Amino acid sequence: MQGPALAIVIVLLVAAAVGVTVLGIWWLPPLASNWGAIDMMLVITLVITGIAFVAVHAVIAYFVVRYRRARAKRAEFIPDNPKLEKLLIGVTALGIVILLAPGLFVYSRFIQPPPDPLVVEVLGQQWAWGYRLPGADGELGRADPELFAQNPFGVDTSDPKAGDDVLVFPGSPLHLPVGRPVLFKIRAKDVLHSVYVREFRVKMDAVPGLLTQVWFVPEKTGTFELLCAELCGIGHFNMKSSIVVESEAEFQDWLRRQTTVSQAFVPAQD
Amino acid sequence: MGGTSAKHAESGLHHAHEPTSFWTKYVFSQDHKVIAIQYTVTALLVGAVGLVFSWLIRLQLGFPGSVSIVQPDSYLQFMTQHGMIMVIYLLTALLLGGFGNYLIPLMIGTRDMAFPFLNMLSYWTYFVSVILLFAAFFVAGGASGAGWTLYPPQSVLEGASPGAGWGVRLLLLSIAVFVASGTMGSLNYITTVLQLRTQGMTLMRLPLSVWGIFVGAVLALLAFPALFVGGVMLLLDSLFGTSFFIPIVNVFGQQLGREGGNPLLFQHLFWYFGHPEVYIVILPAMGLVSDILANHARKPIFGYRAMVWALLAIGGISFVVWAHHMFVSGMNPYFGFWFAAATVVIAIPSAVKTYNWLLTLWRGNLRFPTPMLFAIGFVSTFVAGGLTGLFLGNVIADVPLHDTYFVVGHFHLVMGVSAIFAILAGIYHWFPKAVGRMYNETLGKVHFWVTFVGAYLIFFPMYWMGFMGLPRRYFSFAAVETLPPSVQGLNVLMTVAALAVGAAQLLFVFNMIWSALRGKRAEGNPWGATTLEWQTPTTPPPHGNWGPELPVVHRWAYDYSLPGAPRDFVPQTEPEPQPAAAAKAAKAAKSEPQPEEGSGA
Amino acid sequence: MEQEALRGLKADWAADRRTFPMSWGKAMMWLFILGDAFVFGTFLISYLAARAAATLPWPDTGKVFALHVGGAEVPLLFVFLMTLILMSSGGTMALGVAYGFRGDRKRAALFVGLTALLGAIFVGMQAVEWTNLLREGVRPWANPWGAPQFGASFFMLTGFHGLHVSIGVLYLAIVAVRIARGVYERRGDYGPVEIAGLYWGFVDIVWIFLFTLLYLW
Ligand code: HEM
Ligand SMILES: [Cu+2]
Ligand SMILES: [Cu+2]
Repeated sequence: MQGPALAIVIVLLVAAAVGVTVLGIWWLPPLASNWGAIDMMLVITLVITGIAFVAVHAVIAYFVVRYRRARAKRAEFIPDNPKLEKLLIGVTALGIVILLAPGLFVYSRFIQPPPDPLVVEVLGQQWAWGYRLPGADGELGRADPELFAQNPFGVDTSDPKAGDDVLVFPGSPLHLPVGRPVLFKIRAKDVLHSVYVREFRVKMDAVPGLLTQVWFVPEKTGTFELLCAELCGIGHFNMKSSIVVESEAEFQDWLRRQTTVSQAFVPAQD
Repeated sequence: MGGTSAKHAESGLHHAHEPTSFWTKYVFSQDHKVIAIQYTVTALLVGAVGLVFSWLIRLQLGFPGSVSIVQPDSYLQFMTQHGMIMVIYLLTALLLGGFGNYLIPLMIGTRDMAFPFLNMLSYWTYFVSVILLFAAFFVAGGASGAGWTLYPPQSVLEGASPGAGWGVRLLLLSIAVFVASGTMGSLNYITTVLQLRTQGMTLMRLPLSVWGIFVGAVLALLAFPALFVGGVMLLLDSLFGTSFFIPIVNVFGQQLGREGGNPLLFQHLFWYFGHPEVYIVILPAMGLVSDILANHARKPIFGYRAMVWALLAIGGISFVVWAHHMFVSGMNPYFGFWFAAATVVIAIPSAVKTYNWLLTLWRGNLRFPTPMLFAIGFVSTFVAGGLTGLFLGNVIADVPLHDTYFVVGHFHLVMGVSAIFAILAGIYHWFPKAVGRMYNETLGKVHFWVTFVGAYLIFFPMYWMGFMGLPRRYFSFAAVETLPPSVQGLNVLMTVAALAVGAAQLLFVFNMIWSALRGKRAEGNPWGATTLEWQTPTTPPPHGNWGPELPVVHRWAYDYSLPGAPRDFVPQTEPEPQPAAAAKAAKAAKSEPQPEEGSGA
Repeated sequence: MEQEALRGLKADWAADRRTFPMSWGKAMMWLFILGDAFVFGTFLISYLAARAAATLPWPDTGKVFALHVGGAEVPLLFVFLMTLILMSSGGTMALGVAYGFRGDRKRAALFVGLTALLGAIFVGMQAVEWTNLLREGVRPWANPWGAPQFGASFFMLTGFHGLHVSIGVLYLAIVAVRIARGVYERRGDYGPVEIAGLYWGFVDIVWIFLFTLLYLW
């Protein structure tokens, strides 16, 4: 009876797996950025792999019932079937190309930020996120890991571009304007961290000694969580921050009320 | 080149050395079968520790705060050691050291490994690495909690992560010792397969188990170096304050005097080893499953040649895909194109293997003892886990899923559960040969059903959690405010399933011990199998495996249900049927008129 | 034609018993060398990557490894001598193996022993060089001239290679004694000497790479 039992269990498991996935109880959080194309890729991949998953298990379930010892007399001697094998390889290769090609296309957009984004520096440290935004001059001042000894952002306070930079200290939320491309320039102070905003579908590691980046356009107003997605020690699970997406006017208003570098730190004497 | 003299010297070796004392027979034994069992039992014991750690992890996730010893730091330590133990000290050791040792000499028809002393040394070196691994739990600061990937800087910066002092140093030392052990083993397995096959055993007549282990051993020989080098450099960073992987960092307001290291270099080294590593584990598993499926389907493995080529292709490609683990690591983003393309190409040989397993069942005459159930379970979980690799390999789809529970579900199903299923299938299948008694079938079936259904319940929901964006290596999700409360329901379900699966393994242990002592005596070839290990003169096979003469091989390993044959299997040792042989001899005589040498005698 | 050759190649390789026409020990030594080449290759690539990532300037190796001869600074003289010694030990080893195959027990033992001696001298010179550098303030974590990765890589690479040479010296000494005692003569097989020669040749070749990448560049 093992054959039919196995078939029944496999059918039930696959039905449950597919059913719950399709019901969408546990699914991607609603999209809040321009990266609908990523969702599209996930759905295409899910459909193709889902078909393969169901097909393979349907075949297993059928075979274990149809060819169990109780029924069949003697197995057929079928060492191979080159035609069938080639056909299957062809179908697989086709499926893979269908997945890969659009994926690479979307990826090439993902790694090329648009011109004139709002640049935001994200600084990861154990276990909080800080941010720095350009002030009136529209440019961020120089920063260097050597300077963490002088101030918590490692900003070069003697750089004329740095004085008006807006600081968001760890624990405070970051505000972003809706509809404007944002480029995160990501740094880390101590160990690896990773910037992860689930609703934006973006993720990028913060690496000490390296500047990494990722871009997106917030398209929905609201408050979103920025989580750390790279193990960074015992506070890893607690290392989060909030991102408030709001209208351009509200954003400008918020920006004006933040502390700047020159207010926060005494400029270095030369 | 001195071939013949060496051959005589070498193949006569083992008769002379029948061990007599208890120590040389069971402890410092050089018999590949004893070493195989030592490896298997040790790896299973270490694995049991890894299993207990997984319960602690699961209990914390399902019922937060229920186990007082699981705190934010110890959670990471249990998790790290769980991963390390499972991948390296359980799966790698058991598949290469356990199955490799047991099956290679028996399946290729030789008396032992090429270098029995080296073989013994390999086991005891492994043993030392296990001691070092566990010693790390008892040093100040405890074992490392930096994740099994041990990414610097945090793995070696004291204060930055739990166990960053002697914990991680002992772990790195243990890994270096393990690499030495694995290299000794691999050299032995590869040499043995290449040079010691019995007469008639051509490469294309090798059972797929041997092929899988062989390719796995080659990968081990070529991939372990990267782990070794990365480990040594990390150890120097930790012990001598070098800055290979550590740039200027500032930990809790303190500027550390490091300068100019590159954390990504370690990631490259780790994954240059790490990706082949999953194939070191899964290729032998695939080999075992192929043989078990063919045997219990009473059919030749479908597309033997394709199976061999697929093994080689997977093994080869596995060396050029490593950075798919680093798509969002901050490496040059243009690498993503190549590594994505190369990665999804691996899906083709992997799919070939899956199709051929299915087509082996097709029109078979299936019976379902426990090993067959686990082998079919392997195909199921391998597919359930492998398909999701197409998300993670296709760089852009990996971005939202990387380092979430989606990944945890993926690798557990495709290499964790699958490899465990192959190991369990293999242990049940070869138990009668190794021990000389049958296991208890009823207990075996219960073990299978709980484990199979349980594995799906534990690991499939992780995919949904991954889609929801739950990051992995989180002690608790209380801080993440935007999760639906039903997630906790899923976590409870997974934890209960994990405990049930754990309990089912006790049945397995009981079955093995009880059956080894009290089980029904097994015949020499209870499964009606074709391969050489089932044709030994006694069961379990004697020291030296064969009688005075080595077996001679006349056919491939898969003559199941051969039309015209009296039984539904033809052992590899059986000569070709008379008429055909006679016809061949006649033909040879015609083309070569001279009388054959020695025919007059 | 080509197809046939290919089929022949495949048939040879797939033949029963032995894929390679050599003793097990020799086959294993080749495999070991392959694996060890991966280890050294990975070490060297890691060194190059670390050097590329270093933020401080790389010390001028010509100056660091210079030898003072009568007041003049001759760059790289000492290491040049070391290299010469190691390379000539490759030659003596080849002679040892050749005499072994010819069955000339005495000369084989002599030359293999000489090889071990040269190897030991090499290790000794390395110790001298390490001492000098340590005296000048080179440490694995720092040095007076710039990137700390310099000292770290130097000690790591030469240390690991030196370990190979030291093991080789021990190995060759044992082989030399066994030749002298007639172990291989009685067996009628000098194969193990050749196997030791393979190992030694590999250690020699690795040194060329280290020398080029660590000292010359
Ligand atoms: C009943 C069996 C098992 C259970 C319940 C289990 C459970 C888990 C869980 C829940 C985690 C994730 C912890 C976290 O991210 O916070 C984990 C991590 C891991 N597991 Fe398992 N596991 C089991 C068996 C295995 C096996 C057989 C393998 C072998 C491949 C394995 C390899 C790993 C690895 C490599 C990690 C990652 C550790 C890290 O993130 O550093 N596990 N396991
Ligand atoms: Cu973090
Ligand atoms: Cu991989």
